[in-house]
Amino acid sequence: MSEAAFRPSPGWRFAGHAVLVALCLSVVVPMAIVLGTSFKVPNEVYRLQPWPDAPTMENYARLFGERAFGTYVWNSVATTALRVVGELVIALLAAYAFARWSFRGRDALFVLVLAAMMVPPQLTMIPLYLLMAELDWFDTWTALIVPHLAMPYAAFLLRQHFLSIPRELYEAARMDGAGSWTTLWHVAVPNIGPAIAAIAIVLAMDSWNEYFWPMLMSTEPSSRTVQIGLREFVEEEFGNYGGLMAGAVLASLPMLLLFFLFQRRIVDTFVSSGVKG
Amino acid sequence: MRSSWGQGRDPEPYLYLAPMLALLAVFTYWPLVHTAYLSVVRWNMAPGAAMPFVGLTNFASVTSGSLFAAASYNTVIYLAASIPLKVLLPIPIAVFVWSLGGRGAAYRTILFLPTLISFVVVSVVVLWLLNPMGGHVPALLAMAGVAMGNPLADAERAIWLVIGLSSWKVLGFHVLIYVAGLSAIPRDLVEAMRIDGAGDWRILRSLIWPLLGPTTLFVLISTILFTLQQCFTPIDILTQGGPSNGTTNLFYMVYQLAMRSFDIGGGAAGTVMLFALLLLLVAAKFALLDSRVAYER
Repeated sequence: MSEAAFRPSPGWRFAGHAVLVALCLSVVVPMAIVLGTSFKVPNEVYRLQPWPDAPTMENYARLFGERAFGTYVWNSVATTALRVVGELVIALLAAYAFARWSFRGRDALFVLVLAAMMVPPQLTMIPLYLLMAELDWFDTWTALIVPHLAMPYAAFLLRQHFLSIPRELYEAARMDGAGSWTTLWHVAVPNIGPAIAAIAIVLAMDSWNEYFWPMLMSTEPSSRTVQIGLREFVEEEFGNYGGLMAGAVLASLPMLLLFFLFQRRIVDTFVSSGVKG
Repeated sequence: MRSSWGQGRDPEPYLYLAPMLALLAVFTYWPLVHTAYLSVVRWNMAPGAAMPFVGLTNFASVTSGSLFAAASYNTVIYLAASIPLKVLLPIPIAVFVWSLGGRGAAYRTILFLPTLISFVVVSVVVLWLLNPMGGHVPALLAMAGVAMGNPLADAERAIWLVIGLSSWKVLGFHVLIYVAGLSAIPRDLVEAMRIDGAGDWRILRSLIWPLLGPTTLFVLISTILFTLQQCFTPIDILTQGGPSNGTTNLFYMVYQLAMRSFDIGGGAAGTVMLFALLLLLVAAKFALLDSRVAYER
């Protein structure tokens, strides 16, 4: 996107910039305050000046020392990694089935899979909670990973990508005697690498930032994810705002880093959902 | 695009599909059925206890409570307020950002940042920024002579804080969706209108607004379907539905009934009602979408 077709008159342009700058400030200024406060000693926290005069790492040290944020981060990292891999594999298999075969009930099953996207977690909460109790999955990684492994949206996107691979590639593989499994992993998947990467990142963000289910599943500190740890910190160290802001930074940094590394892909994936629909 | 393997008897596709279907059956569809069952029995949660069928008693007790009344009322507010804030407001912003072309990249990046951070972080930061005892916002307002008080403790105002936060968080995302929709508008059309002497307003009204229709509809429907659940996190962290049920909505109410009051039957009944409402909205979505698309053709 270089030069767009529509160019409003100077008056409107000024107003537009003014509004946009205000909006951007509403994003950037709080972030600056959070970052600055995380480095402040308790005395300085209540001062209006966003940056500390005497910066300290004390707040961060405390998170890992007195509070178990190391464990929380580890829980988040591990469950996110395992979950994303699982989600991708299962979505790839399903997308492949929908894209490469026409079989009885295909359309109905497709609708069934997509319809599941519309079911909010609060609607399935009660029986799932009871199920987790019965399986004794509270405070386990399993509880955070397995119920989420089916990601209809990922399957939907991957199916689109599989459909856009030229048939010749599939045909060539068949000529060579490749079965469906080989074709999937050696022809189809390598061809949509970037798309898979982008979807993986979006799935990772969903997992890292999740609140509802991890909150329900965690009954003791050692099983908390970083988001739940942050939430509990509010009560555990009530009034320790320096520490709270440090926790906020910790909980956001990985995703922000991921974004700046893979910016283009992420935005395209998020947004393509809006245009295609 | 037709696939090369088209024999209907082949078991292979079913095998590939099996894991996804099995997971959805266990973790999405079976719970819906089980919830419906739980909504019509009485259960005190003791293992092995009898679960007598009680018909619509649970539904009656839920709908007659003050929590339900407050949650329903608030749900309407959440939805009604979300439309101008989350669906309409991003449009002029997107038009402007789109008109900047590549030079709008910085704006787009910054606006997108709230999408990346969790609502937990946003809520927790708000606890600090709006803190009456030293948060930046009340302090700055006090310097300007405005006494802000504590919106979180105010039964009337708290809901607007939640609505404001969730609108802020989703703004950049929606702006980008609209920008993508705008980018699909062919330049020649705009240029042709310019050559004919059309002013900004005319181009916006006769060309851009109608072509943005499908995107707007998409954002509208997504917003209506997801706004309530999106607000769960800030409600749980900031107000737990209060004060005095001032911020609860039908989604949060189900959680309150089941997990706070341990009223499983009530929670299940609430869930069933909510599901019915959702089905209605989805049906409306398909009806609207189809008629709209037909019109476009």
